[in-house]
Amino acid sequence: MDLAPTISTQGLSRRFGELVAVDGVNLQVAPGQFFGFLGPNGAGKSTTIKMLTGLLAPSSGRIEILGLDLIAHPVEVKRQIGVVPEGMALFGRLTGAEFLSFAGRMYGLDRTTAAKRAAELLEFMQLADQPKKLVTDYSHGMQKKLALAAAVIHGPKVLFLDEPFEGVDAIAAGTLKSMLQGMIARGATIFLTSHVLEIVERLCSHVAIIHQGRLVAQGSLEELRAGVAADTPTGSDDGAAASGEKLTLEQLFLRIVGGTRRTEQELSWLE
Amino acid sequence: MNLTLHRRAQFTAIAELRWRMFVNGLRTKRGKLELFSRIIVTAAFSIGGLGAFVAATGFSWYLVSQGKAEYLPLLLWPVFFFWQVFPVMATAFTNNPDSGDLLRFPLNYSSYFLIRLAYGLCDPASALGCLGLFGVLLGTSFARPALFPWALLVLLTFALFNLVLQQTIFAWLERWLAQRRTREIMGVLFILFMLSFQLIGPMIERTGKGQHPELGQAAQIVTQVQAVLPPGIAANAIAQTAHAQFLSGIISLFFLAVLTTAIGLLLNLRLRAQFRGENLSEAAARPAVAHLQGLQLGWNLSWFSPPVAAVFEKEVRYLARSGPMLLTLIMPIFMLLVFRLSPVSSMRPGSNFLSRTPELAFPTATAYAMLVLTNLLYNSFGGDAAGVQFFFASPVTFRQIMLGKNLTHTSILLANTLLAWLAIAYFWGPPALAVSIATLAALLFAAPLNFAAGNLLSIYSPKKRDFSTFGRQNVSQTTVLASLGIQIVIVGAGAAVFLIARLYNNLWIAALLFLVLAAISIPVYMFVLRQIDSIAIERRETMLAELCRA
Repeated sequence: MDLAPTISTQGLSRRFGELVAVDGVNLQVAPGQFFGFLGPNGAGKSTTIKMLTGLLAPSSGRIEILGLDLIAHPVEVKRQIGVVPEGMALFGRLTGAEFLSFAGRMYGLDRTTAAKRAAELLEFMQLADQPKKLVTDYSHGMQKKLALAAAVIHGPKVLFLDEPFEGVDAIAAGTLKSMLQGMIARGATIFLTSHVLEIVERLCSHVAIIHQGRLVAQGSLEELRAGVAADTPTGSDDGAAASGEKLTLEQLFLRIVGGTRRTEQELSWLE
Repeated sequence: MNLTLHRRAQFTAIAELRWRMFVNGLRTKRGKLELFSRIIVTAAFSIGGLGAFVAATGFSWYLVSQGKAEYLPLLLWPVFFFWQVFPVMATAFTNNPDSGDLLRFPLNYSSYFLIRLAYGLCDPASALGCLGLFGVLLGTSFARPALFPWALLVLLTFALFNLVLQQTIFAWLERWLAQRRTREIMGVLFILFMLSFQLIGPMIERTGKGQHPELGQAAQIVTQVQAVLPPGIAANAIAQTAHAQFLSGIISLFFLAVLTTAIGLLLNLRLRAQFRGENLSEAAARPAVAHLQGLQLGWNLSWFSPPVAAVFEKEVRYLARSGPMLLTLIMPIFMLLVFRLSPVSSMRPGSNFLSRTPELAFPTATAYAMLVLTNLLYNSFGGDAAGVQFFFASPVTFRQIMLGKNLTHTSILLANTLLAWLAIAYFWGPPALAVSIATLAALLFAAPLNFAAGNLLSIYSPKKRDFSTFGRQNVSQTTVLASLGIQIVIVGAGAAVFLIARLYNNLWIAALLFLVLAAISIPVYMFVLRQIDSIAIERRETMLAELCRA
């Protein structure tokens, strides 16, 4: 079955003066995919996710979310998506419950539904025990959980997460993961960026890798492995691919972006 | 590397770090502007400091040469106040940078202590205080050269006392200001303290009439008390020696040294705690109270859409939790109180014009309320900071968001106007009907114009700000200039209307003219509101960059 993509970009580019941060990116994310968007620091991940969520205007190219052109129908698109941006977009001087209720109403929920969901989300995220605490007084991990709660309060069909696990402890990360997997099971599409490749490998069915603003790989993990194996010359002394061993996402990532580990014969004074 | 060399290398590294931070700061336009303004401020301070130095030299020379050395406290008290109060006012409760950050490095405690003192010595207040004391030393020595070594010793001790006390105050303020709640309380107390100065003038004028023997007694008590406080003790140590009372002089110096040591111990207590790595974080451990929340329904405004109501609720909650901002908003009522307390017969021009012409009280208070509101209105997203991303990501138009914000502004303005009317009615009797109607009509003209300008400036030149703190928060110079221009236009139009009304000796004409002007300003506001979505989209990158910066 060939479903229309939930997220689709054609020739998406963004320039900042002379710098081309994102260069002609063509992304295709199918419905129900847990999609990981990877890249080294400064590769263009956050710029791309900002453009996909309407926080940044593209210099050129086209973005379609759920079949709608983002530039032409921003409000209709935003109504169906949830976003946890880089800066988390919280209002520090509200309590957790007030913020979630506010978020729900901004996404069109009625007051009662917004308040009910806010209470449920606070319980689920284990944030309900200090109801008077202002968001500004939350720890970083608590703020992450709250930002995610605000992004899902209206039951979005697509969720964009920029580094959702950064600064989150193992228990909270477990909570977040189970919630995200639950959303996928119910048919939502999730697009996330993360530097923690183990998490992406465990959660995501598909990944794309961006490097120096260009999309250098896209597909399921198996497709990426197959692509790397095909590119590895026969007789190569480079480990896993040649020997038929399954490459980890980290190995794939390093092969694709051309990163090398610089340990040998350097920093000898550390030994 | 031996310990002394190691320590010297650390001090050099810290000095280089500060220098690099300064040089790197100049890479940006903002940094260069900052340097320019710093040069201007430094020049102004240097001129003031040199003036104070010359005055201190001349006055101390006069006192000592005339055998009136017992009046030296008149010089040392101002130095003391400037040294201690100015740094607190200048930093206005912003955190002292980087001294605590140094703790991650292997500094030993004595190095840390010395660095803190060195930071204090580099403070402009310390430099100017030292200059003042140097003036006293020169004046005293010119008048009585034999006093030089003794005066040097006493004034050095006094300088050390000031330096240690200043650092102690900072260290304890840092402790109290590390948490949001105490920072807010201190901010409110600071504003109340500043406001209380406004009341001093009227109170003195009120009590200044006739004979007040109690004031003489109070002055005597103040003289006795100051003599046992550090500036008095230091002055006494010099004065007694000048009058050949050597033992008294030595005892005074001893007391000053004891006080310096005591304050030094207090500083040591605080810095030791910092050095040991105390936790002053916002999220101090508190016992979690298991508490299942009841449903907290949002507010409902039947005439407005749910997003507008949600924004209105959020804005009101923000303001309710922003003590310093709230206090600013009640300033119009407070100023009415100040004017009411001024006696009618005051000779100071303008000090009590409302008591003489109470019919101007309502227009003046309303205009002031509008002016105070511009602080909030012209930077509507400043308090939202990174939260502005939420607005851009949500499926709500900026028109609705602005409407919610303007609804809050209107509520504040109406509440202030109503309170002003009630306060005036209580203080001077109810304003005449024509005055009240003309003022409300003027508001109907001025408010939409200000709202339209405020909405545009909030998008074109936003500045991140923290409503909970009071002090040096950068404001956009564009906003300041534009605000000034708009106020000139509004005040000019208002003055012209009142002149016409005065010409015909009929205030109802003013009301009518203001309504005509309102018929122009309201469509202007509506027009801007209709355009706000496209402007916000066009400006979103600038807004996000400015408001989301760390």
